[in-house]
Amino acid sequence: MIRLYRVSKSYKDVPALQDITFHVAKGEFCYITGPSGAGKTTMLKLLYGAERPSTGKLLINGTDVGKLPKRDLPRLRRNMGIVFQDFKLIESRTVAENVGLALEVLGTPRDRIRRQVEAVLNIVGLRGRGADRPDRLSGGEQQRVAVARAIVNDPSVLLADEPTGNLDGAMAIEVMEILQAINLRGTTVLVATHDTGLMQRFPYRVLRFRAGRLESGGRT
Amino acid sequence: MSVAPHIFRRAMRSLWENLYLNSVSTGVIAAALVLMGMYLSVQHNINTAVASWSRDVHVSAYFRPEVPEADREAIRDRIARDPNVVRVHYVDEEEARTWLRDRVDGLDEVFDDLGPGVLPASLEITLVDDGDLDAQVAGLDPWLRPEEFAEVDYGREWLERFDTFLSVVKGLGATMGLLILVAALFLVANTVYLVIYNRREELEIQKLVGATTGYIVAPFIVEGLAHGILGGLISIVALWGIHTVLAARLELALQIGLMPEFVFLPFSWVMALLLCGMVLGVGAASVAVTRFIATAP
Repeated sequence: MIRLYRVSKSYKDVPALQDITFHVAKGEFCYITGPSGAGKTTMLKLLYGAERPSTGKLLINGTDVGKLPKRDLPRLRRNMGIVFQDFKLIESRTVAENVGLALEVLGTPRDRIRRQVEAVLNIVGLRGRGADRPDRLSGGEQQRVAVARAIVNDPSVLLADEPTGNLDGAMAIEVMEILQAINLRGTTVLVATHDTGLMQRFPYRVLRFRAGRLESGGRT
Repeated sequence: MSVAPHIFRRAMRSLWENLYLNSVSTGVIAAALVLMGMYLSVQHNINTAVASWSRDVHVSAYFRPEVPEADREAIRDRIARDPNVVRVHYVDEEEARTWLRDRVDGLDEVFDDLGPGVLPASLEITLVDDGDLDAQVAGLDPWLRPEEFAEVDYGREWLERFDTFLSVVKGLGATMGLLILVAALFLVANTVYLVIYNRREELEIQKLVGATTGYIVAPFIVEGLAHGILGGLISIVALWGIHTVLAARLELALQIGLMPEFVFLPFSWVMALLLCGMVLGVGAASVAVTRFIATAP
């Protein structure tokens, strides 16, 4: 599913990631963890193609992301859901419009978008909130909208960058339960977090980074 | 599955949500086209007038006062028999005075003060326009002898000088038009860039959910097209209004009859202006989105 072999990433001469090798199987749930500056976010950026490895090989479903032409990035991302700590919702759009965005870019007809959005809002516990604007929702609800947007087109991989970072304990657990449920449906989930409490409560394989190197958890 | 309905809907929504900036873009295009249209209108009317002057190859021959009336008529009849002459009209002093009085206010008192013999009688000769004007004018020479005519005005020399002047004006006009278009393109591109910049987070989110560059860019191109069409239509209405107001006033002011009449731009030119607006709108939007895409993460 996801395979990295000796991947390094430098910004000018400053190394952000060095010699990373690991493999995540289809349908697996994995944490990427480590202290601030360990390279968690850079790792996720490499996975969704916002950055390219300086050296090494990064394969997702057999596609070499490092060599993928820029014009082919949308194809990669359409098979991938991404959740951010700051939700990245469009404030001027309703919840339904935010969630439907991932289907709009595919050219899905409006009535089908409406049906799929309703279904996915049910999954994340936001039934009937489609017409609300994001600023009328709590932090936990906004993150659930972001998760709904990430899974509405049924991606094979879900990447989450500190998805609970802005949430209090109860809301964080709610979001983690949703991610867990998505994983149980067969989606590969990678969550970047430094919340050890959550990792203990939802125990899965942990890829531990420190100073740009993979300290433990990698498999070849 | 088609993204076209979504693109169109996004474009319409953005037009509405960024009404102020979109109005600025449309206004700039309209203003540029009005300036261009006014220049084209002036040029079109001058071209029409020059063409009509060129068609009537005309010679004015002014009699010496001492030539008797009977001789004048004989000369007129001789010239009228020339195969190159279409028409000869004898204008006596009274007719010349009347013609001038009808066109210029306040001349009555001047003529009264000056008394008779101020305006010489003349022959107004219209020649066949077969392209070889020099030969035709030379053919008139035996009839237009210096002992009978004080002055012969061939008109054509003036026309040729005016033609040279017009060529310079056309060159300057084309340069100015180009500068106006480039300035408008720059202004509209920057305005569209502001709209894009306002929506940069939304566009970045679109990229993250798998939108292609085409999907991101297309609504702005549609918006640019809308700016161009709307700006073009506004400019045409404005030009029509300016023409209606100015044509009547200019015709009154220029009563001497040099211009046949002031006409509005031909339909094909109006359509060209509209097309120019569309090209300007789409071009400016393309410049702005290319700039954004090049710098976006």
